[in-house]
Amino acid sequence: MLAAMTTVTPAVVADGLTRDFGPVRAVDGLSLTIPLGQVSGLLGHNGAGKTTTIRVLNGLLSPTAGGASVLGLDPRTHGPQIRARTGVLTENPSLDERLTARENLGFAAQLFGVAGAAVAERVDRLLADFGLRERADDRTAGFSRGMKQRLALARALIHDPELIFLDEPTAALDPVAARDVHELIRAMAAEQRRTVVITTHNLVEAQRLCDRVVILRHGRSIADGTPTDLSRQLAGSGRVEIEVGAGQAELAAATVRDGRDGANATVEGELLLVDGVGRDGLPPVVEALVAAGVAIYRVTPSEPSLEDAYFALHAGNGT
Amino acid sequence: MSGVVRREARGSVGAIVRRDLTVVGRSKAVVLPIVLLPLVLFLGLPLIVAGGLLLGGDQLGELEQLLTMLPESIRQQLGEGSLRQVLTVYLLEYQFAAFFLIVPLMVSAVIAADSFAGEKERKTLEALLYTPTTDLELYVAKLLGPWLAALAVVAGSYVMYALTANVAAGGLVGRLLVVTPLWLLIVFWLSPAVAALGLGVLVQVSARVRGFQEAYQLGGLVVIPVVILIIAQLAGVVFLDAAFALFLGAMVWAAAAATIWFGYRAFRRERLLLST
Repeated sequence: MLAAMTTVTPAVVADGLTRDFGPVRAVDGLSLTIPLGQVSGLLGHNGAGKTTTIRVLNGLLSPTAGGASVLGLDPRTHGPQIRARTGVLTENPSLDERLTARENLGFAAQLFGVAGAAVAERVDRLLADFGLRERADDRTAGFSRGMKQRLALARALIHDPELIFLDEPTAALDPVAARDVHELIRAMAAEQRRTVVITTHNLVEAQRLCDRVVILRHGRSIADGTPTDLSRQLAGSGRVEIEVGAGQAELAAATVRDGRDGANATVEGELLLVDGVGRDGLPPVVEALVAAGVAIYRVTPSEPSLEDAYFALHAGNGT
Repeated sequence: MSGVVRREARGSVGAIVRRDLTVVGRSKAVVLPIVLLPLVLFLGLPLIVAGGLLLGGDQLGELEQLLTMLPESIRQQLGEGSLRQVLTVYLLEYQFAAFFLIVPLMVSAVIAADSFAGEKERKTLEALLYTPTTDLELYVAKLLGPWLAALAVVAGSYVMYALTANVAAGGLVGRLLVVTPLWLLIVFWLSPAVAALGLGVLVQVSARVRGFQEAYQLGGLVVIPVVILIIAQLAGVVFLDAAFALFLGAMVWAAAAATIWFGYRAFRRERLLLST
């Protein structure tokens, strides 16, 4: 088992990666490992160093200190070879608006060395997959932001890359367009088993799409794990919402407080909100309430979210 | 392996050149000056000059002063004949030769401004930088596109001018105009060099500006040396004959090579990315 694990090279390994822009340190000793075949998220506020990290990993910027390995290659010396195997969706779609959708994809295919005979077939397939076939021969200047983003995503896949970087893939998209892009990313990850790295400050998006996340702050990794693990570790055990009989909420709150150390019960109208009991502590709480004569109409436990974890983490770090 | 790499490099350079020229062809701001300039300089202006020479009477005597300012060795190059014939050769073969150099300069400057600075302005540069093309391939492609376009416009302008000059004034001189060693040097030796120099300058300018208009306006300053050459020739200070064109071409090629080399040294992905 160990032998099998050690033969798999991670998609990305960063070790003390640092990048300065004059006096500003954009990436500060970042160390992380991104495994193959997963969707990983780099989360952080604007200016946390997410985009700079992608640029360094693709050899567009050289690191000030530290190093990285992308698909087993050093970005400082093998930038072109890395870029031939990665696809990047930049925050701005970066499409040439004087060209048609088909021409934009064809141009990218040539630059990525797609064999001449395969270009037309691949361009047609991607245009169809991304719902752009009807507008294939229109100049992209007239496209909506969502269409441009879909086309840019198709362009990032034109050479069938092993590793895909998506930089803020749904920033500035309306909810419908964002949902479409989410579905495309999910399909890419689930059906094609691609390694995807998403940078985002949209925590809901990260929770939905990512197998694991790295939370960045001022260019440093401050947490790393699956969204569920991080949520449980950092945001506590979640909240339980209990709807009780009319006029019984205060009695219910007192019962919970008396019966369980560490449980925090608050009242909102006919609702009892209980924090800190966890999933395992829930049956005894319900049992105690019933024993106290409280009528219970609904019990709704909620798992802590990545958003809870993120804010807990940043609150703990003084932001 | 090296063969594969070379083939891919050629493919990338060719793809960028084709894309850049396609995009240029769809921009009125770029196409209009490229089309209008040769039409004005090498169709409209020679027709006016030839018309003046054919129809002019006593006023031709005033132009004779231009000829008296020329050194004897140069007057001999203009050949024997009537004042009208000598003036026709002087104006259409020699003065227009200097005018002609404006074409490669302007065309290369306009297209390079669109290609370098325009790419930043349109925010298409970042996607290009994320492709596996090397810095050298990008640089070569960005120079090659405008240079080839300039040569194509030079060739077209020369054909148009040769036809115009001969149709309008060939009969007056009694021989083919503009099909001379000087003009062959202008078209095949000096114009490519001037276009390359214009590109070298534009690369430097574009690295320091953020948009097409700014690059275009600053790049337009590259025409000043040609304007000085035209004025100097009109004043009789220099004379653009075949020998001078040969010498000037060598000088311009050397200057072009230097500016392009220094441009390449500053042409780094990182710098391009941070300038967007």
